[in-house]
Formats: sequence, C-alpha cells, structure tokens
Amino acid sequence: MYNDEIMDRYQNPYYFGKPERYSIVIDEASTSCGDKIILYIQEENGVIKQIKFEGDGCIISMVSTDLFCEKATGRNIEEIMRIDESDYVKNFPVEITPGRLNCALLPIRAFRRGVGRANIPGNLK
Amino acid sequence: MLDVGSIRRDFPILQRKMDGKRIVYLDSTATTQKPESVINAIAEFYRNYNANVHRSVYKLGWEATDCYEQARKNVADFIGVKSEEIVFTRNTTESLNLLSYSLEGKLKKGDRILISSMEHHSNVLPWMRLEERGINLDYINLTPEGFLDIEDFKSKIKKETKIISITHQSNVLGTINDIDTLSKIAKENDSIFIVDGAQSIPHMPFKMINGIDYMAFSGHKMLGPLGIGVLYGKYENLSELPPFQRGGEMIKEVDFHKVEFEDPPIKFEAGTPNVEGAVGLSAAIDYLKKIGMENVRSHEKYLTRKALDSLSTLKNIQIYGPRDTEKRGGVISFNIRSEAIKRKIASGNIHLDGLLHSHDVASHLDESNVFVRSGHHCAQPLMKYLNIKGTARASFYIYNDIDDIEALVSGLEGIDVQ
Repeated sequence: MYNDEIMDRYQNPYYFGKPERYSIVIDEASTSCGDKIILYIQEENGVIKQIKFEGDGCIISMVSTDLFCEKATGRNIEEIMRIDESDYVKNFPVEITPGRLNCALLPIRAFRRGVGRANIPGNLK
Repeated sequence: MLDVGSIRRDFPILQRKMDGKRIVYLDSTATTQKPESVINAIAEFYRNYNANVHRSVYKLGWEATDCYEQARKNVADFIGVKSEEIVFTRNTTESLNLLSYSLEGKLKKGDRILISSMEHHSNVLPWMRLEERGINLDYINLTPEGFLDIEDFKSKIKKETKIISITHQSNVLGTINDIDTLSKIAKENDSIFIVDGAQSIPHMPFKMINGIDYMAFSGHKMLGPLGIGVLYGKYENLSELPPFQRGGEMIKEVDFHKVEFEDPPIKFEAGTPNVEGAVGLSAAIDYLKKIGMENVRSHEKYLTRKALDSLSTLKNIQIYGPRDTEKRGGVISFNIRSEAIKRKIASGNIHLDGLLHSHDVASHLDESNVFVRSGHHCAQPLMKYLNIKGTARASFYIYNDIDDIEALVSGLEGIDVQ
C-alpha cells in the first residue's frame, strides 16, 4: 500500500511500548476517527530524555508517531513544541494528501496539547 | 434498466478527469452529485427571479415567493403530503434539532426516548441533549445480521416512552427498517413516531403513512443543493408545536412584549429562507421523477447485488449489514483483514483488531480515483456496538454502474491482503 520504509516502520515500530520510567503521560490524544496514542515522556530540565508510545490507528498516524518519537528524543521540549506542521508534513516519507493531514499531525498535536497542560519548567515561556 | 451513460452526461462533475482518468464516485450516501438541470435552476432563479420572499408587495417579490412555494408543493407531492406540512430547514440534522427543541416542552423528567443502535449522530445527539433534563434515552439492539431486533424494540417501549425516532435506512449497514410495522407498534403506545429519511427518500418510492408524525431528510443527498433540508410534520402536530427559532418572516404580529406566530410551516422558518436551495431541490425532484423512483430503487438493488457478490470473492473482506437486497439499500460498509501487515508489537494496553484502518483503505482506493468514505460515518454508537473503529463504505446512485464496482473491486485487489 505504501512504500517499504512506511510499512516496515508500521509493522516494527522502534519506539513502541510503555517504558518503566516516565514523567509525563499524554493519553487523551484521539482524533475523530477513533485513533488513539499514549505518549510516555521522560523529561529532565526541559529535555526529552526518552519518549515512547502505545496506540492503534491508521498506518500514517502510527508511523508518524514513531517518527515523531525519533525526532523528539534528546531534544528540548521547547524546540519540539515549535515544530512547523507544514515542514513536518513536507518531510514525511510518503506524500500526505489533505484528507490525511490529521493522521500525520496526530503526534505533534497530542504532544502540544499534553505538554502545554503539564507544568514543565522552561515550557512555553 | 437505467441508461447510465446518458444519466452520467447530465452530471458535469462526472466528466472530470483527475490524473487523466475518470472519477469513480462511490460516496452518494454522504452527498450526491448534481445534474445540469439543478445547477441551471439555481442560476435561473438568480438571473430572473431573485427577491426576498413572502413580504414583498412588488411583482418580482411575488415571483420569488412563487418559486419558493412551488418548490414546497413539489416536495410535498413527492412524498404524498400537503404543502403546509413541509418545513424547509438546512438539513436533516436541523430538522431533528428543531423537533428536539420544540418537543421538549411536552416531556417531563422520567420520560423516555427510544432510538436504535444504528442511528446517525443527527438522530442521536438531539435526543441525548434531553438527558440533561432527566429524560432517559434507550437504544434498540440489532440482530447479528444488522436488522432491528423487533422483540428488543417491543420490550423497550414503556409507558414513559414519549418519542420513538428511527432511521428508515442505515447510512452504514444499508438496512431498510420496516417503518410501517414500527409505526404501528409506536402508535399502540401513543408515542410520537419520527423517521430519519435522509437515506431512504432519495433512493426508493415513498408515500407518507399515517403512523409517521414527523420525517426529516436532506436535499443534497437526492441530487439537490447543499443547505436545504426538509421536515415533514402532520399539520395538527405542527400547529401545536412552539417555534424552534424566532425572528424574521415567522410572525403575524409583534408588540413590545407579545408575539403572535405565523401558521405552519412559516412559523418554523425564521429569517430569510434558502430559496435557491428550495428551487434546486425542486429541480432535483423533477429529475428523479423523470427517471422514476421504482427505477432508482431497482438499479440500486442490481448494483448492490453485483457489488456484494464481487466483494465477497475477495479474501479477508468483512462486509457489514444484511445480504438480502430487498431489505437493504445501496450502501456497503466493509473492512479488510490483513495478517500480512499486522503490526508486530508486544501489544501492552492496545487491542489490535487485525483490520486495516479504513482511512488506509480509502487512501489506497483514492490513488486510482475510486472515492469511498472511511471512518465512523457519524455513527459512533453503532461502531461501538459492532466493536470496530470504523469501516470503508461504498455507496451507489443512479450515475453508478458495473464499471464503478469493477474499479472498486480491482482497487481492493491491489491491497496486499493475502
């Protein structure tokens, strides 16, 4: 259906699972299509030490979440909060049609909503 | 048999090519395409007749009013009722909200409303809002095949059940409910019986029956324009119902602290109405009458049979809803199971259903210009009832033919489902 990179990541996500230690959990992230992701973030001094996820949804949303976790690991929360949505979509390994934007942007939007709510030092100055 | 080739030529949008290929439109359950005659009728109204309706003394105003009221008469004749029993709204959702708000005064704490587990949100949420006022909402169960469970229906009718509101045809399962029988059971209990006709009026011959108190449907699902809907109500019912919205048009007399409302249907049409919508809907009805609703229905039965037969040959397809085309309409919901691309994860808290996500299926079909709906189809209680997150859905109308079904099936064959 999609290219090998996408299908491989969908079947064998690198960042799937619930880690033993995490300081932020974002689990309200579900879209109108019923997709659900739970992000587990281990944050120290505004830096994402580790981020993993659980969830089930379409191929695009699941691959996007795995890629997002890869991108976010080791980076500042602030930096990740500022990811440009259109750049993110442009650099996605497969073309995202307008009807699938919500699927691709699911992890970014969940992260923003969840981290925005959590009271993290250095967040949203 | 319909001459689909000639029908297609009446629909400008179906002449479009995308990426050099024709489009295969299989989403008429969501909205239908519009024939040239409807598009022209709307343009003609603006070119020659546009003025505000009902209150104008001048000639152009009479003519605009005449266009609007002729449209109302055409809708009324189409379903076998009187003109003054037709209220124009925005859509089915607004028609049902009108009822929810206007019937509210008839209900008291502890009363019950009965709907089914196959309703569109437009026939769920207007009733759910009344739960906040101590009204109980009950849902009729379905049989495994996707019919209403009549025994469950009977058992859930209590003396407190003041309203029963049921879809005539499911927008997901395609199930056609036996409205005649249901209305008789409802009337034995003196319940107000409401029918959501959004998916039935466009697709089958229908004449109003006495047991129906109110019926709602939408113009855009029957070749008409967006933004025009219909609420039918028995005149005596409409007469005693308070208005839904208040403002322009809908009054006889206004004093500083007192108002006398117009008679139905104008009482329920506050503000300048969607005259172009009514005119367009009327042209759509003319087009459907020319084809004949019997022919519409038999064409869809034929396509549905062919589609069910062809789709059933695919490995790993799960089709929802009844198989008997006498008891279902031209909308087919399905999912694709795929062992091959199942996620290889230790699932933790996540329940994997082994189905390809319907959006992925629809995106795949989109690549070959086959346009189907995916997701929960505004029927999340039904999805929960079926224990699925969504389905892909193909639906048919007069401009679809066997070549569309072949395109659907060959598109699905392209998915690695072995």
